Amino acid sequence: MPLTLEIVTPEARVYSDTIDTVVIPTTTGEVGILPGHIPLLTQVEHGELRVTKGNVTTWLAVSGGFAEVEGDRVHVLAEHAITEEKIDEHAVEAALKRAEDELKAAKDIDPQQYEHLQTLIRYSGTQLAVKRRRR
Amino acid sequence: MASTRDIRRRIKSVKNTRQITKAMELVAASKMKKAQAAALAGRAYAELMAQMLGALADRVEESQHAFLAKREVRTRGIILITSDKGLCGPLNTNVFKLVTEIKTPAKYAVIGRKGAQFIARTHRDLLADFPANDRTSFADIKVVAEFMVKQFLEGHVDTVEVIWPRFRNTLTQVPTLMPLLPLSSVKDVLADLRSDAGLTAPAAPAAENQMLFEPDAASVLDALLPLYVNREVYQHALDAKASEHSARMVAMKTAKDNATKLLGDLTLEYNKARQAGITQEILEIAAAQYAA
Repeated sequence: MPLTLEIVTPEARVYSDTIDTVVIPTTTGEVGILPGHIPLLTQVEHGELRVTKGNVTTWLAVSGGFAEVEGDRVHVLAEHAITEEKIDEHAVEAALKRAEDELKAAKDIDPQQYEHLQTLIRYSGTQLAVKRRRR
Repeated sequence: MASTRDIRRRIKSVKNTRQITKAMELVAASKMKKAQAAALAGRAYAELMAQMLGALADRVEESQHAFLAKREVRTRGIILITSDKGLCGPLNTNVFKLVTEIKTPAKYAVIGRKGAQFIARTHRDLLADFPANDRTSFADIKVVAEFMVKQFLEGHVDTVEVIWPRFRNTLTQVPTLMPLLPLSSVKDVLADLRSDAGLTAPAAPAAENQMLFEPDAASVLDALLPLYVNREVYQHALDAKASEHSARMVAMKTAKDNATKLLGDLTLEYNKARQAGITQEILEIAAAQYAA
């Protein structure tokens, strides 16, 4: 019995397919989900999400959110998520640099903005890691 | 028959009105496109989240989190989402109709000036009002949601519900009431909303009642539940914005069409009056010549 995986962010539905297994980065380490998993609700950490379908493994970069397993359906609600082939290395590097500069330049920045920049930096880092792992 | 000068004056004013409504229609149309895209993009996320929470409500004890506790409902807490500006047809009025149907005591937090005015005018209990800018930002809406949640936690209100004009398509906006807290009431409403949006209902949840939480139930719920409330309210605010611009565009289009029609009638009347005047003058000249 294959699993149905859905990865949704506030901007769009990033991934939706039937798959064999998925490995989700969570706050307590990586969790591998196979068909027949018991219902699970967990917090998703910044990191790499691996999807295996047949012999093909797809990599995705995700940042904080939640994952739910119920029956043969897996739902991932993430702040951001992107599949490997869509990551534009140069754009990410530029975004990372901008965020870091902004963080350095601002002294008394309001906490929300600070958090936003931190998320951006960590997410950029994850994206780069995912993109570069193949080489 | 009105004099030609009066008719000319009216034609001019109708023309001006048409020009203004036409401009407003175009502005609303471009804003509508953006607002609709934003609302539709966020829908999948919000719906999945609500669905997740609905499933969750069955599986956790009420005592595990303050948001889950079902209390006797004495005062309802309602977040009312309206627009700041008028000229958007029956949009706000329809929402207010839904509000007047609420007979139980309720306290309101309002987004949008129109709603605040209505609540004040009808002497309902207004806790706070917030502006509804064109750029709905998550940070702004978070303030509203957190305000209401605080009222809920402190026991001033026993539910948190949202009323907003739900965007169905450009021509139809449906005033909708959706409960957010306590969570147990969410599930019933969810099914209606989904069927209305034309989405297939998910298969019945598995029978097993166990759910594993990692790292543990308390910390997952602590993180998830506030996010849920904020996200849902934000999604509804985006939805309301899309509704507002759609309603305004339609209202302005109708106004423009009416002005065009009126202009046609007035022009006809003006030409008739002008021709009658000329005929009259010719008659007078002819009569004068005849007499001479």
